[in-house]
Amino acid sequence: MSEWEPKIAAFLCNWCSYGAADLAGVGRMEYPPNVRVIRIPCTGRMDPKFFLAALREGADGVWVSG
Amino acid sequence: MITFKLNGQAVQGEKGQYILQVAEKFGVDIPTLCHHKALEPAGMCRLCTVEVFDGRRTRYVTSCNYPIWEGMEVKTDTEILRDGRKLIVEMLLARCPESKTVQTLAGDYGIVKPRFRTGDDTCILCGLCTRMCERIGANAITLTQRGLDMKVDTPFSINTEACIACGACAFVCPTGHITYDKITACVTQRPGKPIPSEYDVGLKGRKPVYVPYAQAVPNTPAIDRSTCIHFKTGGCKVCVEFCGVDAIDHTMQDETVEVNVGSIILAPGFEPFDPSKFDSYNYTNLPNVITAMEMERMLSASGPTGGHLVRMSDHKEPKKIAWFQCVGSRDMNKCDNSYCSSVCCMYAIKEAVIAKEHAGKDLDCAVFFMDIRTHGKDFERFYNSAKEKHGVRFIRSRVHSITPVGDSGDLEVRYITESGELATEIFDMIVLSVGMEISPDVVEIARKMGIQLSEGRFCRTGSFNPVATSKEGVFVCGAFQGPKDIPQSVVDSSAAATAAGEILSAARNSMTKVREVVAETNVVNERPRIGVFVCRCGVNIAGVVDVPSVAEYAKTLPYVEFATDNLYSCSQDTQETISQIIKQKKLSRVVVAACTPKTHEPLFQETLITAGLNKYLFEMANIRNHDSWVHRNNPDLATQKAKDLVRMAVSKAALIQPLKEAELDIHQTAMVIGGGLSGMASARSLARQGYETHIVEKSDRLGGQALNLYRTAKGEDVQKHLAEMTAELQKDPRIHVHLNSTLSQVDGFVGSFKTTISTDGSAKVLEHGVAVIATGGSPYKPTEYGYGTDPRILTALDLDRRIMDRDPALKRLNSAVFIQCVGSREPERPYCSRVCCTHSVDNAIHLKETNPEMNVFVLYRDLRTYGERELLYKKARSLGVIFIRFAREDKPKVKVENGRLLVTVTDHILGRALELEADLLTLATAILPNRDEKLANFFKVPLNADGFFVERHAKLGPSEFATDGVFLCGLAHYPKPIDEAIAQGQAAASRAVTLLARKKIYTSGTVAEVDPRLCSQCGVCISICPYSAPSWIEKGPFAAKAQVNPVLCKGCGLCVASCRSGAIHLKGFDNDQIFAQIFSLSEAV
Amino acid sequence: MEHMGIEPGRLQFSWISSAESTKFVEVVTQVTAAIKALGPNSNFAKKMAEVA
Repeated sequence: MSEWEPKIAAFLCNWCSYGAADLAGVGRMEYPPNVRVIRIPCTGRMDPKFFLAALREGADGVWVSG
Repeated sequence: MITFKLNGQAVQGEKGQYILQVAEKFGVDIPTLCHHKALEPAGMCRLCTVEVFDGRRTRYVTSCNYPIWEGMEVKTDTEILRDGRKLIVEMLLARCPESKTVQTLAGDYGIVKPRFRTGDDTCILCGLCTRMCERIGANAITLTQRGLDMKVDTPFSINTEACIACGACAFVCPTGHITYDKITACVTQRPGKPIPSEYDVGLKGRKPVYVPYAQAVPNTPAIDRSTCIHFKTGGCKVCVEFCGVDAIDHTMQDETVEVNVGSIILAPGFEPFDPSKFDSYNYTNLPNVITAMEMERMLSASGPTGGHLVRMSDHKEPKKIAWFQCVGSRDMNKCDNSYCSSVCCMYAIKEAVIAKEHAGKDLDCAVFFMDIRTHGKDFERFYNSAKEKHGVRFIRSRVHSITPVGDSGDLEVRYITESGELATEIFDMIVLSVGMEISPDVVEIARKMGIQLSEGRFCRTGSFNPVATSKEGVFVCGAFQGPKDIPQSVVDSSAAATAAGEILSAARNSMTKVREVVAETNVVNERPRIGVFVCRCGVNIAGVVDVPSVAEYAKTLPYVEFATDNLYSCSQDTQETISQIIKQKKLSRVVVAACTPKTHEPLFQETLITAGLNKYLFEMANIRNHDSWVHRNNPDLATQKAKDLVRMAVSKAALIQPLKEAELDIHQTAMVIGGGLSGMASARSLARQGYETHIVEKSDRLGGQALNLYRTAKGEDVQKHLAEMTAELQKDPRIHVHLNSTLSQVDGFVGSFKTTISTDGSAKVLEHGVAVIATGGSPYKPTEYGYGTDPRILTALDLDRRIMDRDPALKRLNSAVFIQCVGSREPERPYCSRVCCTHSVDNAIHLKETNPEMNVFVLYRDLRTYGERELLYKKARSLGVIFIRFAREDKPKVKVENGRLLVTVTDHILGRALELEADLLTLATAILPNRDEKLANFFKVPLNADGFFVERHAKLGPSEFATDGVFLCGLAHYPKPIDEAIAQGQAAASRAVTLLARKKIYTSGTVAEVDPRLCSQCGVCISICPYSAPSWIEKGPFAAKAQVNPVLCKGCGLCVASCRSGAIHLKGFDNDQIFAQIFSLSEAV
Repeated sequence: MEHMGIEPGRLQFSWISSAESTKFVEVVTQVTAAIKALGPNSNFAKKMAEVA
């Protein structure tokens, strides 16, 4: 691998950021391909265990967005 | 079908196809500069040369125009070929050393500097432009001359009429040799200009094949016949070659379709006023003078500048922007629109605040206005914060003209300040706050339909039938009914729907079809059998992501029984195929890797249902919106990401369980709380549509505040109409009026409420499926301006009472004074009561008409006669009513001296104190909310800081609550005049009927569920839930543990995350499912 | 988090409305850059079994 690329787990609210991500796609905007999106119904669903598990399972970062 | 070998691999193609086409399909890359999918190949650039072995000898052919034949062997990447291509590129580089395309290609072949003598051309003579021009049907350009002199040109090198300036040649030119500027300069005789985008109000161009805007419904492209080349020349049709599903048919014709309907609703909207007719504002010639609509697009993230605020002339960031209000409104001088457009003050303030947010604090925003009309809910607060917090300047002055400052693009305005001095200021940009107009087309429709229009060309309606036109069965909503903002338009639209529903209720459900139900296969306790469908989405996904390899990869994942790729997974035939495969392969879970679940999940869930699977046994991996569309320059990483997303989806899919949707009967009865006008209107609509309705009224008669009113702004007699309405309600057997009654308890939820009402001390329980809150408001009892100390000092309602009682004393008055904003727009009540300006102006007119000799003064802060109410203001002035403005800091003073009632006010024009002697002083008092906290608690609905109820959505849900089954109308929502209160009453009924008419509702399956064995009774879930879904179990083995009502649960998961005992599970998004996704973030080792 | 040996920067929060695609792209880019700057997550991640 030429350069190290981080892997980021993104917990996105179905109604907010997930929609923004969809719209970014519709607008064909480009951004780094490092995030892996996990759709959650609402950021209220976010449990501290999730991000600890993500980091433990090899994610280099966790991004929670409502 | 022809089979041949391509780089040693057996491939197949159709007869007549060329090598390049087949190679492309199999992902073999052959370089080319002169090939275009829609054009006949010409073999011009020779880069695509390949080796063809026919069994005896090897030949070198151009793959773009060499047809395939059975048994041939093709090699595309041998050393000889590479050397040949390198030489071609080297020669091209010598010819066009400056061309970016050739430079990149040369870089690929390791050429630094050509060995040949270099020229200075940019054209590689690929002939794409001439072939495209021929295809377009223009035949304007061709390859002229021979040998070294060969070039692309028009006949005789002169600008030709044949060129239609379509720009297709520039579009296909691989080197940028042809530009749009060159076309206008040397090719065409016509002006070449982009097609203005309607959505971006001409600030941006658009294509002839286009989707009007990103959220358009339907979101499919359309061909604009007036600009499409095919309809001009008969040629082109390039789009047909690119459409993967043969959806384009240029021969389609407009059809006249006849539909049989029982009612018509007119919602044709408005047109923004075109300011180009105002020569003093120079809108047409000055690029930095823009309309508010243009400003909206410029502030939008999806707009022409991506939300970056720059001015049009030089793309400089503006430092000073001015808004001019009332452009095309309240103006009889330069246009014919004497009405107020109602919305421009608020949108200008909003734009000024957003502009400051985008450009930073240093941006200076100034709004030039006559009266600021922020009469909507929470608008006055916004106005105050724009002034105080954001520092937007408000200048009360109407500017006559705009003068450009040399060629700088800056704009000079001169205006008269409030103190009467002449001031000059220079702005970078000026935004014209244009008003609303009804288009001449709409006026024509109205004429054809025989519908009467108002003076301002809006649809004529009555205050008591605010959405009914002059023609029976034809209703109106939105700006055609009168200039209005979004919330009011949404209220109107619901009201129009219910008005149509009232006359059509007998026909309800007479044209619906019942769907066949497929029995659900049981999958519980079986090993999961997952099917993965990877969508190519034409080239949308497959153009970036290696779809076949993702499908192959999916096959290797645990529990995956079947994986394939589809061209378009959402197409009808693929849906059927998926359904077949589910049945054949006995799949128990389905994963579709395609676009976004937000738009397509319901569609695929339908497919699952037809295949007999529970619709929740489905998961999507978003490899389009979140992947191929946003990483198109990174195909390898995009493919990797797609595999990761599919793996995560599969790991979740293995754990998902079928979910049940609880079924709930809707009690076919409604309850309206409050028997004022809006509550009555609501009950009348509900009853007319066949529903039993209870009206609970705390006083001893129906009518509410309307009982105190004399006439409407349109001159209708309120008491006469109110009496008619009361009679209709009392006569209707479906309406049960409970007077002198209040609510003492409410149990249940949407569909099955049990409400206890107490009438004169006796309690009664009523069951109902929906509730409409129409509890109204009350008039403010003033403590200021000497109210109560002198019989000549009245409130507006007191005056109405006197007028209704035909008090003869009114006729004999010498002078009458009105004071506005009594109790409204004050720090303790920072809202505008909306109705008082119109009310006072109308009463002033009444007094003046009773006795033209009477001196009538209206003391006001901003006169807010919005919409066509402005005509009353105009009429009052022409009758001689004198309007004097005062500031909140310098209010009028009232005193009684020697029996004379004196009002002192500082006149803003003279700048001096004026003393007015009043025989009658009317105080325009505020409308107060009831702040009914008990009722708010009963139905679990919120109150705002002022004490009004908070609707579901300020713009899109004004007549309903976030709590299902509870609706809102009238003064309980916000102060409003009779027509708007009635419209909202109808709107609340309309929203309620959408529930009642369903008879049964199904809750979502993705709801929280408590495992009572683990519940530790801490109560956190009950206190934290915004929808009041969790509660205590009352009896049984798990009494005092928590439970979640699936009907009220919105599936947000807040309680799940907050449950310290891990007792709550969110179905469909359970811990193990999310953990499965997390655990599969990285590939298993 | 620091107590557990995780750099706090590895966890990022933001609020984006469904209409703000531009903001989404900005934030993704920013988050990716921030995490890239921290380097691979080695302190907390489950160690792979070392094969001799």
